[in-house]
Amino acid sequence: MRHPAEGVLRRVVDEPAGVSDPDHQHVAACARCQRVLGEVRADAGAAAGVLAVAAPAGHGVAGARTDAAWHRLRSAAADGAADGAPRPGAATGSSRAQRSRGWLRRPGVVALGVAVVVAGASTAAASDWLRIFQAESVQPVSFTSTDLVDLPDPSAFGEAVSGEEVRVRTVDSAEAAEAATGIAVPRVAELPRGVTGEPTYQVGEQGSSSFTFSAARAAASAEAAGEDLPPVPAGLDGTTVRLTAGPGVLATWSSSTGLPALAVARGVAPTADSSGAPFGEVRDYLLSLPGLPADVAAQLATFTGDGSTGSTLPLPVPADRATTGTADVDGVPATTVTARDGSTSAVVWTQDGELTAVAGTLSTDELLAVARGLR
Amino acid sequence: MDAADRTSTGPPGPPLALAAPARTLGTGRTRAPAGGGALDLRPDLEAVFRRDHALVVGVAARVLGASADARGQAEDVAQEVFLAFARSRVPADRARGWLCVAATHTALNALRTRRRRAAREDAALSGRAADEAVAGDVADDVVAAEERRGVRDALARLPRRQATALVLRHSGLSYAEVASALHLSPTSVGTTVRRAESALREELRNRASSR
Repeated sequence: MRHPAEGVLRRVVDEPAGVSDPDHQHVAACARCQRVLGEVRADAGAAAGVLAVAAPAGHGVAGARTDAAWHRLRSAAADGAADGAPRPGAATGSSRAQRSRGWLRRPGVVALGVAVVVAGASTAAASDWLRIFQAESVQPVSFTSTDLVDLPDPSAFGEAVSGEEVRVRTVDSAEAAEAATGIAVPRVAELPRGVTGEPTYQVGEQGSSSFTFSAARAAASAEAAGEDLPPVPAGLDGTTVRLTAGPGVLATWSSSTGLPALAVARGVAPTADSSGAPFGEVRDYLLSLPGLPADVAAQLATFTGDGSTGSTLPLPVPADRATTGTADVDGVPATTVTARDGSTSAVVWTQDGELTAVAGTLSTDELLAVARGLR
Repeated sequence: MDAADRTSTGPPGPPLALAAPARTLGTGRTRAPAGGGALDLRPDLEAVFRRDHALVVGVAARVLGASADARGQAEDVAQEVFLAFARSRVPADRARGWLCVAATHTALNALRTRRRRAAREDAALSGRAADEAVAGDVADDVVAAEERRGVRDALARLPRRQATALVLRHSGLSYAEVASALHLSPTSVGTTVRRAESALREELRNRASSR
């Protein structure tokens, strides 16, 4: 009879019930197998020794430790992990993300934002601050939640800096909102069934953030990850992309449950300016960096923009959570987004440099009716 | 090529996503997608958490080591993994294996980062030992620290699947559970664990002989 494989002998060591009787009988009678079994057993014992984990101090109150850990998890989940996020290696002081504010607290979103802007950029000669991107239409880019999780921290290849913190405040009326933002507040002609009352108005100021590419930092991150950094195009090192959006206004109608039933938002559409570097090259380079999910990069690479006349704003949509479609709002192409569980929907479009979104716990048809009736 | 080789080519599903290079320390992975509800958590989360939290911390601790710092890191890894699980659609009956694989990958990634720092500490520790003329307890500390580091280095150098199978088995998962978590046959689990233990022995032996 052939000798059982070492994998079988390994199982003899610690799960003998899973080994067949013929194998047991062979091993018991075979001197060679006994010798190998001795080596296998010794290696397994040595591994168990070096991998042993001492019980933590206070292990007698393991339940209390689990309780504490559970509350920490709940807290982290409840605030979007802004402060309670676990940070393996936190002891090294690596907490760049914490220094950011507002939406910059989501590094992955920043990475996507940078890629989005660069992907949407037109090819242009380098100069001082140069308008490279102005959203004139919206198109969804599909990615999965896993893709978002996988997005690299932008601090791995540059420095993201938020501008002045955007203040959002409630104002008393549409007139006050218009006075504060200079934006004509969209009025809903006819509220959908089930939505009643007056909306609350909030206004946000213009916000901006910038990202400066660092070839040295990108190289260090790539090396740490054991990956090769593609050759950095000339002029890219130190190039800064500045994103600007807003101001904007948001009108919200609450439902009887207290959740927003309908929200209408309008703001100055995002624009981007750049210092240095030809942007077709920058786009292709950033999209080639390790870490950006290939599917997302491929979609973004198709966004070429159209020179000074503006570009398409990629709208990131998690494909595993929402579906997208297209619609027409008074002759302007719009994107519809519907949560897969049917709970919420949104309609988004850009016109004359303004981005408008209508969203709520309503059907897409109801929201389109609202969108088409805006005055 | 044996069964273990043939079955080790495919990724074991979602946990590998947590193990992607260069993302170990990014906090973005634990966030809900933009606009996603922060409290959009699976309903069985608390039950799974209370059942498996200690196990998952133990898995991460086996990778990261026995020091107090490492223990804290292991608990951080467990938090990260459960947050990812909370927003996942991993079937309940596969939760334990998924969590353990994810914890191993995440901890191995953290280990890779830590090894760079350890190289600097290593130099400092060696200097200290020389300065103090290798007094007994200091020398013991150096040897113990060196051995611990050797284990971590060896783990980090193992093929991912071998390291994961090794850690899962030594964390108490049965052959069937390891097989299910890594999409291996139970026989291949024995082969994979055996190779890992053999490689670990060689790594430690080489390290010892080079001192």
